[in-house]
Amino acid sequence: MSSTTRRIVVAGVLGAISIFLGASHLGFIPWLAGAALTIMHVPVIIGAVLEGPWVGLAIGLIFGAFSLLQAAIAPTGPTDVWFTNPLVSILPRLFIGPVAWLVYKALQRANEVAALATAGVAGSLTNTVLVLGALGLLRFLPWALIGTIAVTNGLPEAVVAAIITVAVVAAWKRIETGRKGSTV
Amino acid sequence: MADPSEFELLGRVTIGQYMPTGSVLHRLDPRAKLCMAAALVATVVVSQSLLGLTVLLLAVLAALALAHIPLRFALAGLRPMVPFLLLLALLQVLAIPQYSANARVLWRWAVLTVSDRSLIAGVLLILRFCVLVLSLSLFSFSTTTTELTHGIEHLLRPLQAIRLPAHEFALVVNIAIRFLPILAGEAERLMKAQASRGADFGRGQRNFIQRARMLLPLLVPLFLVSLQRADELAEAMEARCYLGGKGRSHLIQLQARLRDYVALSIMLILAILSIHLNAIQADQVLWTWLAKNLSHLL
Repeated sequence: MSSTTRRIVVAGVLGAISIFLGASHLGFIPWLAGAALTIMHVPVIIGAVLEGPWVGLAIGLIFGAFSLLQAAIAPTGPTDVWFTNPLVSILPRLFIGPVAWLVYKALQRANEVAALATAGVAGSLTNTVLVLGALGLLRFLPWALIGTIAVTNGLPEAVVAAIITVAVVAAWKRIETGRKGSTV
Repeated sequence: MADPSEFELLGRVTIGQYMPTGSVLHRLDPRAKLCMAAALVATVVVSQSLLGLTVLLLAVLAALALAHIPLRFALAGLRPMVPFLLLLALLQVLAIPQYSANARVLWRWAVLTVSDRSLIAGVLLILRFCVLVLSLSLFSFSTTTTELTHGIEHLLRPLQAIRLPAHEFALVVNIAIRFLPILAGEAERLMKAQASRGADFGRGQRNFIQRARMLLPLLVPLFLVSLQRADELAEAMEARCYLGGKGRSHLIQLQARLRDYVALSIMLILAILSIHLNAIQADQVLWTWLAKNLSHLL
């Protein structure tokens, strides 16, 4: 099968999952004091791990553009005001996929499951650090508060992202090898 | 007993809500509208001037009237945000230091300081948000998703000269948008299947690990079913000899008309005006003028 067609389709479908998680509010896990953990970036990580950095970049762009649109058209919380700025909502999200892919490729030889989990953590932390960094640089939030948010939101998000990435990719690869008799 | 609406997953989505009023804005070329939206968002983000943003806000309000979209529809998304917005503006005013040499302190209490600079920063935050919300709502009210993907593909076409996959990216966006209702149906089916086996997707008080674990039996099948469908779709496309963007023709040919150029020029003039007001520090001029006249009145 031509890998280009496959990459296009996988990027589209995982982009749709990211939009869906945001639009249906399934992708938000209520957390301390109204702040929500998000798993909308998990499709970006999974796409990057399965099909490479370009797919991760494309899904990241869709995720970012959607979070900008959602913040502007159908805002759900106080933080949405900041996300109407593309420097916060789009730019940081472009790096999630490539970083996750690099980490996965670097560790894949050693241990597949550990590589997946680390890629999930790395991709998620990329999102946290870059988005909060943008908020700090644009002076929307004082740096002290940003440090707190990075710990209270960023770390649980990274853990959840790692769990879902491992669960989905491991299951998918097993299905693929089982049904088609080919190795990945 | 679960509330049936619990399984209605896309009921709250307002994005892609199209209002067919057939106005001149609806008939504009989607490429022109995309360019205008991008220019507007960029200008709003860059602009630091109250006057510049006010000009843009008035322009967007005029465009809403031109598109025959009732203001209350456009404002519907804004209303629940008002308390948060005020809170954020307050935070911006009180807590964020504005590093500026000529900031005048208006009020000080313990660690809280209000300077004219921070007050302006708070108002700017509110203005900027209003302009963005109204303009992006206007865009989605007046553009169908089909027009949107066509517009994206056409606009990105020049990038193919430097080997960027414009056609491919437009197709990705198209698949994502088309796939959304299928995905919602699939998720609904999965949730009902899990609920019938005793899973509880209610919004009860749980800690986040429990909630995350609760989501796994829904998310993992959702991802796997979607990846399976992606495989099938790719195979179907290959079977129909899909070869990428090279030499592909379109059913709808976009054609730019005079009105598109006129609209683009208006947007360009507004953007330049807004940035110019920023550059010449029109706000300061206005403040001095106001201060002089008000003191005269007093």
